[in-house]
Amino acid sequence: MKHSIARWALGAALLAPAAQVLADPPPLPPYQMRAPAPAGNRLSPGRDGKALFENHCGYCHLAAGMGTNLLVKQRLAAGAGPATALLANRDDLTAAYVHAVVRMGKGAMPPQTRVDATDSELDSVAAYLGRGK
Amino acid sequence: MKLVLPPRVGPKAFDAALTAFAGVVGKEWVMAGDADRDAYSDIYAPGPADQWPASAAVAPGSVEEVQAIVRLANQHTIPLWPVSRGKNLGYGTAAPRMAGSVVLDLGRMNRIIDIDARLATCVLEPGVSFFDLYEAVQREKLPLWLSVPGNAWGSVLGNAFEHGIGYTPYGLHARNLCGFEVVLPDGDLVRTGMGAMSGNHAWHLHPMSFGPTFDLAFTQSSLGVVTRAGLWMQPAPAASLELVFDIPNEDDIGWVIDTIAPLKIAGTIDQNVFVPSWLGKMVLKGQRHDFWDKPGAIPEWRVKELLAQYKLGYWQVALRLYGEEPVIRAKADVVRAAMARHLSAPPAEHWWHAGDPMNAMDTTMGVPSAAPLQMSDWVGGRGAHMGFSPVVPATAEHVMGQLKRSRAIIAAHDVDFYASFTIGGRFATNINMLMYDRDKPDQVANMKRLFSALIGETAKAGYGEYRTHLGWMDTVMDTYDFNNHALRRLNEKIKDALDPNGILAPGKQGVWPSAMRDQAKAGRV
Ligand SMILES: Cc1cc2nc3c(=O)[nH]c(=O)nc-3n(C[C@H](O)[C@H](O)[C@H](O)COP(=O)(O)OP(=O)(O)OC[C@H]3O[C@@H](n4cnc5c(N)ncnc54)[C@H](O)[C@@H]3O)c2cc1C
Repeated sequence: MKHSIARWALGAALLAPAAQVLADPPPLPPYQMRAPAPAGNRLSPGRDGKALFENHCGYCHLAAGMGTNLLVKQRLAAGAGPATALLANRDDLTAAYVHAVVRMGKGAMPPQTRVDATDSELDSVAAYLGRGK
Repeated sequence: MKLVLPPRVGPKAFDAALTAFAGVVGKEWVMAGDADRDAYSDIYAPGPADQWPASAAVAPGSVEEVQAIVRLANQHTIPLWPVSRGKNLGYGTAAPRMAGSVVLDLGRMNRIIDIDARLATCVLEPGVSFFDLYEAVQREKLPLWLSVPGNAWGSVLGNAFEHGIGYTPYGLHARNLCGFEVVLPDGDLVRTGMGAMSGNHAWHLHPMSFGPTFDLAFTQSSLGVVTRAGLWMQPAPAASLELVFDIPNEDDIGWVIDTIAPLKIAGTIDQNVFVPSWLGKMVLKGQRHDFWDKPGAIPEWRVKELLAQYKLGYWQVALRLYGEEPVIRAKADVVRAAMARHLSAPPAEHWWHAGDPMNAMDTTMGVPSAAPLQMSDWVGGRGAHMGFSPVVPATAEHVMGQLKRSRAIIAAHDVDFYASFTIGGRFATNINMLMYDRDKPDQVANMKRLFSALIGETAKAGYGEYRTHLGWMDTVMDTYDFNNHALRRLNEKIKDALDPNGILAPGKQGVWPSAMRDQAKAGRV
């Protein structure tokens, strides 16, 4: 799974606007299903961060998503591998950083409303993406 | 974002209203902080977002809560701006037309109430996203397809309520709506069509009411908050064939329209056929400065070079046929023969059969994606765009006239030309993408002048926009001027009768309730 995503991300590196200009974008991967929203009250803490990430952030941050595509370019420029354009593969994120970007926006990413992701949901997502730090 | 209160509402009264709202929805669903106001602003605003400031947002979770909020809004004279998911990028995002309005965010109401695969319909709440519906269909393996807009981050219903378009046989989205449930501006609840009868079984199947049919009176409208609607879907076809024609020259668009529109009207082609100009392909290949490093429009000679270098036609027709394979083969013969009268190169052909994988991004197959938002990266910086969107008859004369007119105006403003014509049958929707960096004031000012010039000149020639950004809603409504603006006068009469306090979406599409008409001059560009 991880392997195929990494391979796709390499393709996206070529697709991504960069110094090199491409004649034909590589073929796109198939649609990636998001996890369903986990059960429970959206205002309650402790719901599954991975599922919440996919459900709420997956519009742009799964394979072939807008956020992933734009991040490929940024990751390459930062000397990191293209597979790290998928936020789930990152090991350098902190919960505080995730909070800041989600609420304040970054580049093409607009700030997310509290209907897009509640504060509790954001806590769970931030803990998932910032895990082990 | 700075706090702008609704007209004639003081800080104390505003707080009292928010407290009353919180009593209905819970305090977590009343969102009135600085970050909240930013999150509900127009992220593609031409210039600063605080030209169209929301004072707060409130998110009800049920029809009863919507009714209660609307009643309280009347008591406290707080204007509400309903959005389904509020992802109306290019036309104002979630931001309200009138400063100080409270965004009524229906995103929490995201139940898929029913999907009927036999009759190919579904019943949705406004918060259901294109992704939600697509995934529900995939999970259940239902034989149904969606029709999606280029940016599918938003709401299935919200897009249809704004008269959005997609690129399948079900691409005229408002036409797929059937049977509404609506909270009126006084908090009353009405069901349209057959749903007016309690327990009627054909609510979302028969598209007309006993008596006048109100469904579309609630789209691009300020007459009610739609809390659910039925939607007709496309039965999944057994097969599909894509025929891709590169069309070499600018003026070829005339014969393209005269070839495809009759086939669409006759039913040989049933899709909304999208015909983008070359820049639609270039935005996927790099950033603008990779191809032209000066601020003004890319000159003709350089465009010619780029088309030759990247083997692009001026236009591209990626036409798709759907259905049983033998039927598609027969239709494809007709289409190929018609196109061959003008074009010697045969089309590239791509077959798909039920069970084959689909790409993560194929609007002509109803797969939702937000990746086209990447387009904003073309100009760099905080890239954004507005769409100038007039509708013209689907004949060569009208399409060529529109093309030449907008081309000349856009060139006179030294801006790149990026247009598409979507052939919907008897008409074509012409979307002109005007891209800018929000942080370059000169560029933004130029875009605003250009946008206003396009509206004015296009109306003089006899064509109007089907949809527009907040800042031009009044300007565009002004262009609908028959008999001293009879349409606006009718809208206002109905508006005042249903919404005497003027609390629901004041100014939407240039319709102002008398209670708020003194605000109509602000927020215009
Ligand atoms: C790159 C790009 C490509 C795009 N491509 C397309 C395209 O191909 N086709 C297209 O149509 N659009 C396109 N858009 C524009 C826009 O992003 C979509 O139309 C989007 O679906 C609209 O947002 P939404 O669905 O969340 O609707 P919302 O923002 O929720 O609703 C739109 C409007 O409808 C009214 N409304 C919504 N809900 C209700 C309700 N419950 N009751 C009463 N009134 C209501 C309100 O006036 C609201 O402002 C594109 C935008 C970008 C940036």
